[in-house]
Amino acid sequence: MYTVFVQTIINGLLLGGVYAAYSAGFSLIFGVMGVVNLAHGELIMLGAFTSYWLFAYFNLDPYLSAPFAMILLFLFGYVVQKYIINRVIGQPHIMSYILTFGLHLMIANIAIKMWTQDFRSITTSYSGANAAIWGLNIPLARLVTFMVALLVTWVLWFFLMRTETGRAIRATAQDKEVARLMGVDIRNIYAITFGLGAAITGLSGSVMSPFVIISPEMGLEYTIIAFCVVVLGGMGYMPGALVGGLVLGVAQSLAATYLNAGVSVAITFIILFIMLVICPKGILGKGSVA
Amino acid sequence: MKFGALAAVQMVSFSLNPGEILGMIGPNGAGKTTLLNCVIGIHKPTSGKIFLNQIDITGMKPHKICRMGLAKTSQIMEPFMAMTVFENVLVGALHGGRMRMRPATEQTEKVIELVGLKQYAYKLSGSIPVPARRRLELARALASGANILLLDENMAGLNPHEIDEALEILKKIRNSGKSLIVIEHIMRVVMGISDRIIVLNYGSKIAEGFPEEVVNDETVIKAYLGGKLSSLKVA
Amino acid sequence: MNFKIDRIILIIFLGITAALAFLPNFVESEYLLRLITVVIFWIGIAGCWNMMSGYTGYIDFGPVVYFGIGSYVVAIAMTKYGIPFFPSLFISGLISGSVAFLVGIPTLRLKGAYFAIATFAFAEAMKQIALEFDRTFSVSFFQGSDGITLPISGHDNSFFFYCVLPVTFLVVLAHYYIEHSKFGYGLKAIKEAETAAEISGVNTTANKLGAYVSSAFFLGLFGAIEAYWITYITPSDVFNVQKTVQMVIMTLLGGMGTFLGPVVGATFLTLISESLGARFVEYYLIMIGGIIIVAILIMPNGIIGSLKIRKKLRFI
Ligand SMILES: Nc1ncnc2c1ncn2[C@@H]1O[C@H](COP(=O)(O)OP(=O)(O)OP(=O)(O)O)[C@@H](O)[C@H]1O
Ligand SMILES: [Mg+2]
Repeated sequence: MYTVFVQTIINGLLLGGVYAAYSAGFSLIFGVMGVVNLAHGELIMLGAFTSYWLFAYFNLDPYLSAPFAMILLFLFGYVVQKYIINRVIGQPHIMSYILTFGLHLMIANIAIKMWTQDFRSITTSYSGANAAIWGLNIPLARLVTFMVALLVTWVLWFFLMRTETGRAIRATAQDKEVARLMGVDIRNIYAITFGLGAAITGLSGSVMSPFVIISPEMGLEYTIIAFCVVVLGGMGYMPGALVGGLVLGVAQSLAATYLNAGVSVAITFIILFIMLVICPKGILGKGSVA
Repeated sequence: MKFGALAAVQMVSFSLNPGEILGMIGPNGAGKTTLLNCVIGIHKPTSGKIFLNQIDITGMKPHKICRMGLAKTSQIMEPFMAMTVFENVLVGALHGGRMRMRPATEQTEKVIELVGLKQYAYKLSGSIPVPARRRLELARALASGANILLLDENMAGLNPHEIDEALEILKKIRNSGKSLIVIEHIMRVVMGISDRIIVLNYGSKIAEGFPEEVVNDETVIKAYLGGKLSSLKVA
Repeated sequence: MNFKIDRIILIIFLGITAALAFLPNFVESEYLLRLITVVIFWIGIAGCWNMMSGYTGYIDFGPVVYFGIGSYVVAIAMTKYGIPFFPSLFISGLISGSVAFLVGIPTLRLKGAYFAIATFAFAEAMKQIALEFDRTFSVSFFQGSDGITLPISGHDNSFFFYCVLPVTFLVVLAHYYIEHSKFGYGLKAIKEAETAAEISGVNTTANKLGAYVSSAFFLGLFGAIEAYWITYITPSDVFNVQKTVQMVIMTLLGGMGTFLGPVVGATFLTLISESLGARFVEYYLIMIGGIIIVAILIMPNGIIGSLKIRKKLRFI
């Protein structure tokens, strides 16, 4: 009884860590530009595929290919923002949804065209490895992802608070016009922000690749979870993604153990809906309310 | 009224008599806009009460208050951009004035005539110049048939000639039996038109009285010390 | 205020609808009749979305939930309670509308992205509830992923044509009403500047709720008709987010908040997917993605919206 409960909580926390890892970028992009990026899951997919191909052709370990995924996705995100999304900034927010939804359709379907709809996975020596402590199982690959989530949150926080670019990003997020007057190149900052968001999202895709199913159509599901996580934690509030991810992970894990797996999805959306209605600023009350 | 820890307006009490024009002045950030926004229900006051003809309207929804005869123009102009000037005013008549389409259309025509917006009537309100937008704000409030109009810096950004025109309109409105509260930084306007003036500073009322009384008031002069002092004396 | 031209447009619209009513007598091909019915069906559904989101600017990302509720109400009413189709259809609309009323009150206070996400979450939650309810509470009501099979209607395509036509007619008529009524001016004012609307006397809460509930009512009817038409429903089908996407894209291509936007957008997209979808299955979704991106970048107001601006037309 007791072991089951503790195991459930541990599973939940590790799941939540994974959620947090891939939601941070979503929160960053929303927080700075107000763009709800419906192509978020595709960034994860691209990160995972980067690792997949490097593993398939060069037998490169996913943890080693992670930097490549980051660089690739930074460039991708930078270009997408600079040449496409920047053109609808300042228009009604629906424009950015539709635009990123169009991107989602294109990226996912081009990926299907190139790589087929097959499910793929990367089997490393540690893919199924567990650490067993006091009768509890701790899947190592997830633990690593959890660490990455912590690291990403911390580095991002540090970056935003302490660096020149970080300050420019924060200034832009607070007041675009004032930032412009202060000499910040808004379009470039937006492109960098999106690139950064894409890079950490790609990184998460990469470190998740040893234990998730990789397919061109995997994205949408992740986008939806990222939505929930970010709303729970407070939209646009960076550490919120971590808190939101953990809360959601534990809630789902409890529901899956004590009710059934399907209910855990229902619970996700019920929590999301109720949260928005009663407290749109998130659990910590620090999100921005547009 | 508090925003977080900031008390934007506190312990202010004032009244408006029928047919009166009440001027409201005070340095930037004094809380004039906030005060009137409390009156029309945009902000819910954290404490205190507001009465309209002995009826307590504190905490009522703005549209209710508007229909009871209290309409305000906004300092930051907010026209319904994608609508024509005519349609903007029509919204005030239909909803604020609770009228059916036909009488509302007639009312709208009358109001547009009164404020002199005829030449812009069928232009998109997003495309007209600032002075016309100021009048549009006024027209929309008037169209609701409100007996009390609250004008928040409705002459900001106008040149002297335009101000004279606007003053003429205000006088016409007053003569039709309506009461007004006029927030204005332009002293010539406030002094010239107000029956009474109240002065706000740091969210508190620091003076109240006839225009001549107020300009000579010690505390008022102190509050305006610096650039604005001269403009006070000129009036 | 060009009431004369507007009247003419109304008369043309009534004429077209009347002419359409005779269509099944002339169209021999079952395929063609079906295609026309599908086009009219989508015009109606996209219109429901436009009625709410196009006019108020509140982006509803979960309209499909009312469609799905309509489908389920009609299925349960017919199979469990043996109520005939037409009364069940009406009940579907009523229940969809009532749910929208209850959900709208808390949700319509949210703004921007928050409203969009909340509506999306609600729709997904309902889908999951329909999927898991029976298993969780050990009952047989929604029948989970097994779905519900409705009584076979035995009607031909023209029956459904006559079901869809009047509902779409009402939806388009509602657009005309919105364009010319106090209610509609209230909605448009909310879209442009909600606080200004409120202080000008618009009961913003009631007006938004009115639009939301009417949109849900009609969606419920469409959901019910579709369920009876295809006779088999599952939560994943009737609550499919793809339907929401389609409504949004159709309206956007045609022009949000315009009278003819949904008509043009739905016709255009349905015909495109009919002609391209079959021939270029592989590239179809890539192309749709591309069309969306290009459309947003070069024509953010949609076909009708752009026309309106360019030709300075007030009402179309
Ligand atoms: N929504 C708000 N949230 C927080 N603070 C606010 C808000 N609105 C106003 N304030 C603050 O309340 C104070 C009073 O502002 P208010 O706009 O009422 O001044 P005002 O007298 O109208 O000034 P002005 O002459 O510049 O229009 C200011 O310090 C302002 O910064
Ligand atoms: Mg002010």
